[in-house]
Amino acid sequence: MRATVGDRIVIHGHRIGEPNRDCEVLEVRGSDGGPPYLVRWGDSGHEALFFPGTDASVQHFEHSN
Amino acid sequence: MRTIEMLHRSGVGVAPSRTIRDAAAIMEQAGVGSLAVVDGERLVGIVTDRDIVRRAVARAVPDDARVDSVMTTPVVTVGADDPLDVAFGLFATHGLRRLAVMRGDRFVGMLTIDDLFVSVVEQLASLAKPITAEILFSHRDAAVPVTT
Repeated sequence: MRATVGDRIVIHGHRIGEPNRDCEVLEVRGSDGGPPYLVRWGDSGHEALFFPGTDASVQHFEHSN
Repeated sequence: MRTIEMLHRSGVGVAPSRTIRDAAAIMEQAGVGSLAVVDGERLVGIVTDRDIVRRAVARAVPDDARVDSVMTTPVVTVGADDPLDVAFGLFATHGLRRLAVMRGDRFVGMLTIDDLFVSVVEQLASLAKPITAEILFSHRDAAVPVTT
């Protein structure tokens, strides 16, 4: 996975009825856009390190400088 | 099969200085039952929802205490490129429910025993599929030719 600051990562539910979860990339700690990422979860504002598995996908956004 | 191929769930980590309350909130938000405790790039422990219940709530430890006060350390790890048999062996030997998967010195994810259960059941199902009809409808087998 490659991500940049501001991207959204979606973690897909593992069971029927389990909602998707999402977080925002605040920092890229790996090299060349790779993980781990410092992320902020939803509306809670909690920050954590994120190590993506196959259940996660990244949604890139165009960033303007 | 390599262990990394079984690692479907994303891993979540926190710094050891974070509070127990933060750790619980992150577990809830991220939908995980365990967190890697990472100091810089170094994995120093694992904290589970069970750890929080048994080591913090049950002992009246304040929820603003550091998360490393209730984490499990040292951590039993498995290499990302190790054969899956190694992970099976570690689960069996140590009686664990989670293994930290490492690539070199870096944490890459958490393998749960539930993931392996699902895999084993799926493999059994795929094995059973070709013979299911034979078991259920054995009377439809062609009769053995009678020789005289």
